[in-house]
Amino acid sequence: MAYLELNNINKYFGKTAAVENFNLQVERGELVSFLGPSGCGKTTTLRMVAGFETPTQGRVIINNEDVTHKSPNQRDVGMIFQSYALFPNLTVAGNIGFGLKIAKKPAEEIHKRVQDMLDLIHMPDYGNRYPYQLSGGQQQRVALARALALSPDVLLLDEPLSALDAKIRVSLRSEIRAIQQELGITAIYVTHDQEEALSISDRIVVMYNGHIEQIGSPFQIYNFPETAFVASFIGTLNSFNAEVTDLTNNVLRVGDLRLTTAENLEDRKVGDKVMIAIRPERLNFSSDLKKANLIDCTIENITFLGSIVRIQVKVGDLRLHMDTFNNPFLELPKIGDKAEITCSREAVIILQH
Amino acid sequence: MNWVSKFRKIPFWSWFWFILGVIYFVLPLYATLDFSLRMERDTLGFKAYAVAFQDPAFLKTFSYSIMLAILTIIVSVALVVPTAYWIRLRLPEARRIVEFITLMPFVVPAIILVFGLIRIYSSPLEIPFTSIVLLQPLTNFKLGTNILIIGGYVVLGLPYMYRSVDTGMRTVDVRTLTEAAQSMGASWATIILKIILPNVRTALLSGALLTFAIVVGEVILASFLGIPAFGPYLFLLGQHRAYEPAALSFTTFLLTWAAMGIIQLVTGGQSQAAGAH
Ligand SMILES: Nc1ncnc2c1ncn2[C@@H]1O[C@H](COP(=O)(O)OP(=O)(O)O)[C@@H](O)[C@H]1O
Ligand SMILES: [Mg+2]
Repeated sequence: MAYLELNNINKYFGKTAAVENFNLQVERGELVSFLGPSGCGKTTTLRMVAGFETPTQGRVIINNEDVTHKSPNQRDVGMIFQSYALFPNLTVAGNIGFGLKIAKKPAEEIHKRVQDMLDLIHMPDYGNRYPYQLSGGQQQRVALARALALSPDVLLLDEPLSALDAKIRVSLRSEIRAIQQELGITAIYVTHDQEEALSISDRIVVMYNGHIEQIGSPFQIYNFPETAFVASFIGTLNSFNAEVTDLTNNVLRVGDLRLTTAENLEDRKVGDKVMIAIRPERLNFSSDLKKANLIDCTIENITFLGSIVRIQVKVGDLRLHMDTFNNPFLELPKIGDKAEITCSREAVIILQH
Repeated sequence: MNWVSKFRKIPFWSWFWFILGVIYFVLPLYATLDFSLRMERDTLGFKAYAVAFQDPAFLKTFSYSIMLAILTIIVSVALVVPTAYWIRLRLPEARRIVEFITLMPFVVPAIILVFGLIRIYSSPLEIPFTSIVLLQPLTNFKLGTNILIIGGYVVLGLPYMYRSVDTGMRTVDVRTLTEAAQSMGASWATIILKIILPNVRTALLSGALLTFAIVVGEVILASFLGIPAFGPYLFLLGQHRAYEPAALSFTTFLLTWAAMGIIQLVTGGQSQAAGAH
C-alpha cells in the first residue's frame, strides 16, 4: 500500500474539468513532482491533497486514512507557497513556532524545535528577524522550516522557487532536495520548469490539460517519452511524422530520409503513420560509421550556448537540431557546409500519440 | 540641500492647491482658537477653558461619550473585521453590495436614521398573534437606548471602518496567509485573532479614530434618544454661551490630533512590517 494515494480524482469547476482521471501512488520518502504548462491542473491537484479543494470524484488517502473530506487543519500536511506566505506580524521564530503553539506544545519544546529548524535551514541567528527583513530566498527557507516544524505526513510545494532569481533557484532547489532526503519526508513538488523537475524528483508526473500524460523517473521521462506532448515539453526535440516502410529491418521514412529504429514495430503495418522523435544530443558528426543512421545535410545555423553548441541542419525540407559539447580544440563547421551526421537506432523513438 | 531641490521640482499648481487646502482647513481652526482666547476683554487668556472644564456636566458628558465611542469601536471591529475578511476570502462578488450598504450613512441623514430607530424600537417585541411580550421597547429603558445609540453609531462609522479595514487587508495576501495557517492546524478564530487582526492593526486604528471622532461630536442621535452625551451638551452650551464652546471645540480637535499622532508613532514600525510583502 502506497503512503499517499490519489484514486481516480476528478475535479470540476462548474462544467470545466480542471483535473480528470488522476491516479497516483506515492511511496513514503519519495519526492514526486507535477510538471506541466500553466493551467494544466497542478495546483488544483495539490490543493486537493492539502484539503483546500474537495475532489468532485475520487479519494485522497494518506497513510491508509481516507482524508478526502477532512478540512486542511485536520490533515498533517505542510504547504509551501510561491509567495512564501510568512505571517508579516510574527518574527521568524514566531512563524516557525506557529503550528507548535496551536498544537499547545510546551514553550521549552517549541523553543528547541524552532532552533533545530533554524539550524536545518542554515539560518541559526535569524529567529528575531521579521519576514520583511529577509531576502526572498531566506523567506522561502523560513517557510520550509515552518512547514517542517510540525513533522507533516506530506510536504506540498507549489512552485516554491518561481518568485526567486535564477541563481538562488538552483541553489535552493538542491537545498530543498537535501533536506527532504535527510528527513525522509514524502513530498509533492509542483513546477512548470522541466529542468527543476528533472533535477529534484524521484518521479515526475507530466500533466497536460487536466490529465496525466506520463509518470516516470526523470531518466525515463527524458529518454523514453511516451507521448508527443511529453517529448516536446521536456528538453528540445526533433519530431517528425514518419511512415513505416520495412518491418524486417525496422525502417521508417521521413520525407526522403530513411531511418532505422530499435523500437518494436511488430504491431504495425507497412504504410502506418507514426510520430518519431530524436533528441538533439543523440545526433553526432559521423566519426563512428557503425551507427545505423547516416544523414547527409547542410549546416544552416550555429548557436553557442556555453557548454553546448546547438547546430541546425537541413535535410531536404526537414530541419534538425543537433547538440554537441563545446570543445575549444574542435573545429566547428561553417554555415553552408555539407556534413554527414549520424544517430543510433536507439535514438529514434516512436511516440504513442 | 537635497530636499530643497526636491521641493523645487514640485510644480507650481501642486503648491497652489496644497496651500489653498491648508488655508481652507486651518483658517476656521485658527479663528476658533483666537476667539476662545478672548473671553477677557483686551487680553488673550485661557479663562474660557478654565470655565468650561470646571463645569461638572462637561466631565460627565464627555466621559459618557468616550465610553460610547469605545463600545461602538468594539462592536464595529467585531462586525467589520470578520465580514471584510470573509468577503476577501470567499465572497468577492459580495464586495460591491457591502460597500454600498456601508455608504448608506452618506445617503440617509442621521435624523432619518434616528426616527427609523425610534419608530421600530418603541414598540415591544411580542410573539406573533399573542400578547406575550418578549422584550420591552428598547426606547423605554436606559440600557435599551444605549444599545440603540451604539447600533446607530456603528452604522455611522461603517463607511470609515469598513473601508480602512478592507484597504488594510489588501496590503496582505489574506487568502494565502489563511491557507498557510490552516495547513498548520489553525482554527478560524485563531486565524482571525492571531493573523488577520494584527496585520490590519494600522487600518483598524485609523478606522477606530474616525469612529471616535464621529461619536464624540455626534448631536442628533444622542439628542433624540435622550442620551447625556457630549454632543448635545456642547450644542446646548453653544446656545447660551459664546467662548466656552469654542474652547471645548478646539480642545476636542486637539485631542483628536494627539490621538492620530500617537497612532502614527505606535504603528509606524508595524505598518512597515505589514506592508513589506
Ligand atoms: N477556483 C477555481 N474556479 C474556477 N476555475 C479554476 C479554479 N481554480 C483553478 N481553475 C481552473 O482549473 C484549471 C487548472 O488550474 P490550476 O490547477 O491552477 O493550474 P496550474 O497550477 O497547473 O497552472 C485552470 O483552467 C483554471 O482556470
Ligand atoms: Mg499553479
